Amino acid sequence: MTQAPIIANGLSRYFGTGDNAIKAVDGVDLEVHQGEIFGFLGPNGAGKSTTVRMLTTLLKPTAGTAFVAGYDVVKDADKVRRSIGVALQDAAIDPLMTGRELLTLQAVLYGLSKVAGKNRGEELLERVGLTAAADRRVGTYSGGMRRRLDLALSLVHEPTVLFLDEPTTGLDPMSRLTLWEEVKRLNAGGTTVLLTTQYLEEADQLADRIAIIDHGHIVRQGAPRELKAMVGSPTLSISVASSETDEARLILARFGDLRPTSEGTLGVGLARGAEDVASVIRALDEAGLKVRHLELDEPSLDDVFAEATGYRLEGADAANKPVETEAEPETKKSRRGRK
Amino acid sequence: MSNLTAEQPMNVRTISDGARPVEVVAILVKRSMIRVRRMPSAFIPSLIMPVFQLIAFSGAFGFAVTSLGIKNALDWYVPLNAMQGASFGALGVSFGLINDMQTGFFDRILMAPAQRWVTVISSLVAAVVRCIVPITLVVLVGYLGGMNTPGGPMAIVCVAIASVAIAVVAAGFAIGLTFRMRNLGAATLTQFAIFFTIFLSTSQVPLSAMSGWLRGVARINPMTNILRFARQGFLGDVTWEQSWGGLIAMGALLILTFVYAMTGIKKFDQ
Repeated sequence: MTQAPIIANGLSRYFGTGDNAIKAVDGVDLEVHQGEIFGFLGPNGAGKSTTVRMLTTLLKPTAGTAFVAGYDVVKDADKVRRSIGVALQDAAIDPLMTGRELLTLQAVLYGLSKVAGKNRGEELLERVGLTAAADRRVGTYSGGMRRRLDLALSLVHEPTVLFLDEPTTGLDPMSRLTLWEEVKRLNAGGTTVLLTTQYLEEADQLADRIAIIDHGHIVRQGAPRELKAMVGSPTLSISVASSETDEARLILARFGDLRPTSEGTLGVGLARGAEDVASVIRALDEAGLKVRHLELDEPSLDDVFAEATGYRLEGADAANKPVETEAEPETKKSRRGRK
Repeated sequence: MSNLTAEQPMNVRTISDGARPVEVVAILVKRSMIRVRRMPSAFIPSLIMPVFQLIAFSGAFGFAVTSLGIKNALDWYVPLNAMQGASFGALGVSFGLINDMQTGFFDRILMAPAQRWVTVISSLVAAVVRCIVPITLVVLVGYLGGMNTPGGPMAIVCVAIASVAIAVVAAGFAIGLTFRMRNLGAATLTQFAIFFTIFLSTSQVPLSAMSGWLRGVARINPMTNILRFARQGFLGDVTWEQSWGGLIAMGALLILTFVYAMTGIKKFDQ
């Protein structure tokens, strides 16, 4: 019998009915192990938050089952709620209240006694570095302070499983690092963490394992190192004049599989590794093509993402960029977009 | 992915024993009061409006009710405006709920291991607390204006009971609607509903002075019975004959709106 803190089988959530139904999450299978940080990676609108809302009992699944801390999220929602801590995407904090008041409220909501709640509140304020600001209204807090308070609120009842939905979105690099350290510290104390993020670096830095979700489906799952190894070869990105793009693409294809890259550049996975770089340059030179920019990247999570979804996560917006793996006729619209 | 199940809960070391209903209600009501104190601009209109209406109605239409044998127009209008003030004061919980839904704070409450009925009761108790100040203010202005209470202290008790009941009914209806609509329209629609229910009753003149369709509507409007209950101590003695209709109407409306609010939160939960 497993004791995995988070298990989902075929978890789905549709909005609307019939042919018009939007499949926000469609058949997600997950298993998060005890004591690990699990990264849930995907662009906006991929289904990360909807999955988290189902796992945290805020949303009922349309289909499938999920167990959190050993309890069914639908049948034993109350027990699930006692066992989990959640910091949702937008720090849901009342700006008219002070940090200390919110911690007291949270303690009461989770059934802590007055004394236990007060002590726990003080401990958490100190832990997240908000003791000095505890009696200030939250409306006066910076984004980083709000996030730290949100994290403290989610920890009031010492949950066994912690859900962090894009905890560092919109934070400055310093605040992000502080939050990462806190998450690592919590995890070291035995708390299982499911973290959603659209930041590759965050997933890479924090997660023991990750799942990549796109259009409601999990497209890859595993340890970041394993996933990167699966992508294999390094990616050579070059940029040439737009009139020479098609010819350059044909040449690059001789050295490996073409890969999606950021707009304006072409990418190829070098089958024989970095030693092919000189050959590529020579081939392009012999064809009379002028290389404006060249970059060699070892496989990253973005490569894993691109390989799995056909587009890159970095810089991708909610609508997701079109697949750019094959030669695509340049339209007037796309040309205008680049100007 | 294997088809894993978890029949045995994991070894949970959380310190949460689940929420205690009375404490949860108390802390959520306290929060509502903190919000009123720190954002008074949202509450002040519900204080000013009933007092303004009391002065305006008794001044403009006072001759109509005094011509029907009522000693002082304030005797007629104080219960009405106390109830109206209470109901509009109570609507603040609906605005607060909408704000909590839009900011995501309500998710925090829903994710806590507190029963859903506790959440609904918290809003209703907050409505009661919020309506105390407008009721008191209207009665005080009435006293200062020279209103009569031949029914003695029971007159005030009756108007307080009716006002609190109307506040809870208004809040229950408003939060039930808020859970369904999830936007500001719910509070606005509730205001509209309260306004019509009150004005299609004996709010301005007694039933005996009404005629036509308005009399027919006012006769079956439960608000007429509640107003009779609230006014009795201002117009004469407090009697069972004047009370039972109002008590039944209040009881029925309280049950209906509580059920409406509970089914609303269940729908919201889906």
